[in-house]
Amino acid sequence: MLTIKNLHALAGEKQVLHGLDLEVGAGEVHAIMGPNGSGKSTLAQVLAGREGYTVTDGSVTYKGKDLLALPPEERAREGVFLAFQYPVEIPGVNNVYLLKAGLNAIRKHRGESEMDAFEFLTLVREKMKLMQMDESFLNRGVNEGFSGGEKKRNEILQMAVLEPSLALLDETDSGLDIDALRVVANGVNSLRSPERAIVLVTHYQRLLDYIEPDHVHVLSGGKIIKSGDKSLALELEKRGYDWVKQEAAA
Amino acid sequence: MSAVSAKNAASPVERYKNAFDARWQGDDELTALRRAALEQFLSAGFPTQRDEAWKYTNLRRLESRTFTPADTSALDAHQSEWLTTAGTRIVLVNGHCLPALCSQKAQQPGATVLTFKQWIEHEPAAVAAYLKEHDQLGGNTLEQLNLAFFEDGVVVNLADNAVLDEPVYVVHQSTSSASQRMSHPRIFVRAGRNSRATIIEHYLGANDAEYFTNAVTRFEIAAGGSVKHFRVQQEAPRAFHIGHIQAKLARDARYSIHDIAFGASLGRSGITALLEGSGSHAALFGLFAPMGNQHLDAHTRLDHIAPHTTSEEDYRGIAGGKGRGVFNGKVIVRPDAQQIDARQSSRNLLLSPTAEIDTKPELEIYANDVKCSHGATTGQLDATALFYLRSRGLSESDARAVLIRAFAESILSTIDLAPLHAALEKQIDERFKLANEAKA
Repeated sequence: MLTIKNLHALAGEKQVLHGLDLEVGAGEVHAIMGPNGSGKSTLAQVLAGREGYTVTDGSVTYKGKDLLALPPEERAREGVFLAFQYPVEIPGVNNVYLLKAGLNAIRKHRGESEMDAFEFLTLVREKMKLMQMDESFLNRGVNEGFSGGEKKRNEILQMAVLEPSLALLDETDSGLDIDALRVVANGVNSLRSPERAIVLVTHYQRLLDYIEPDHVHVLSGGKIIKSGDKSLALELEKRGYDWVKQEAAA
Repeated sequence: MSAVSAKNAASPVERYKNAFDARWQGDDELTALRRAALEQFLSAGFPTQRDEAWKYTNLRRLESRTFTPADTSALDAHQSEWLTTAGTRIVLVNGHCLPALCSQKAQQPGATVLTFKQWIEHEPAAVAAYLKEHDQLGGNTLEQLNLAFFEDGVVVNLADNAVLDEPVYVVHQSTSSASQRMSHPRIFVRAGRNSRATIIEHYLGANDAEYFTNAVTRFEIAAGGSVKHFRVQQEAPRAFHIGHIQAKLARDARYSIHDIAFGASLGRSGITALLEGSGSHAALFGLFAPMGNQHLDAHTRLDHIAPHTTSEEDYRGIAGGKGRGVFNGKVIVRPDAQQIDARQSSRNLLLSPTAEIDTKPELEIYANDVKCSHGATTGQLDATALFYLRSRGLSESDARAVLIRAFAESILSTIDLAPLHAALEKQIDERFKLANEAKA
């Protein structure tokens, strides 16, 4: 589903990714771990198409298409979803409005008709229940005045409604207490399916207790320096990152 | 030299003098007042940018046109842009009331609604006395021009304790015409003690018309009275619009205005609230959105004359293309006016590198027990928010439109009249091209 080859990218003017390779297949869950400053968030932003990040070399192919050639909204409509590390507060734009506008844009792109109000609300209510969110959140401004945990839940709510093919979660576990982490993990797990790929970018192993990855990668110095299965995450938790770096340098 | 070019060669003030002489003769009291006002206008001329209050707004383009007083013109039907509100509807076409288009339910209990023409017909002496008291002295030169030329308008009298359930809706409609016409409508609202009313003024014009609206709107609100005023300037693209609004507030009176400006090539609203009675409160909300080559100017003046008076002011400007906006908010606190609370906020959004908004708070405070705050910001659409919306599938233009709507919504959400609120949201969406897919 997603093939990243030799990806080099700048964040602003700083070279952050130095030849990253990654292959993600449908139905798989990948975790990308790494120390601070290793390029995890840059990777997520580049894949979502954020301005200010420049690809200087390499390629990203998604469902056979050149992902990097698409503007952010086209990526979203093709099924790429980024759960933000820092979800943006947008006062004056209702949560429900954003959900509906996003969903209809994606449906239109797929040649489907817009959902009617009843169908839409039924869907949203069901997903809110899953995320243990009160319905009052629907008519509040997007993330406006939400706590850190509420913002993260809201990201997963959006993901659950938009049903992407490729879900990228950027540090979704950061700042969550254990109960919120469970709710968020539940939401993500509910989306696991043979047609969908999930990429978790995370600093800690904790999230992976709840969302079990098929593959774990260590990102350091802008490259994947080691890949393994879920046991790698546990080892990183115990031993830190230095040994992997040394191994890679050797 | 042909007669036509000789006429064009006349100076602007001469052209107004000629127009006046052609329209008003006689020596009755009212005409004498008009003539005196004309003389004041002629001697002062149009304001220039040397005048501090007109620093950012150049009237030379207005001055160069030859406008003649407009006759009323038949208008067959209700126009689609008019609001459908219950209550009283008065329609002025080119500055003249057209009774056929006014609503039948014209008189609500406790309210007397007259046209200025009717008032002049029935009580010329009272009209002259009123104008003498209120307009002969002071006022700026364009208000004098209104006094010289006004033909018609609306007079609303609210009895003490009258509470109007439905708004009084005044439509100012300009029609299509080959010649350049001007109208000088007048609205006068006298609100009795503890009365309550809502007045909507809606300025509209035929798309192809080039005309000049120079409107005066006055409120006198007696003790405990409360008036909500909505003023929607949606003139045609080539129009010139100058509005002069003044509210005088007695003890515990309340006045609020929503000053919305979307239309006209050159538009200006000048609002003065005179807080003469203690406990009175004025709230000014504004939204102006110059696009293309539009120039829209909002000048407000909150005059805290009595102690224990309060005011709040929240203006938002959105400028795109080569649009130019001006906000000037003056707050005056008189020497004996203690215990004042005045809050002012001006926030502006620039949508293009060639758009410009000049914002200027002016505080003149002569008392010491005063709480005054003001804040002004000018910025662009938030790039992070734009990306966030696009990452959820909204096109760039829809994402922009959604954010612009959200910015405007902070003013629109304070409008508690559903049909007006809906009409203005629609205006914003059309203006900033919100496509169907993003409509919720």
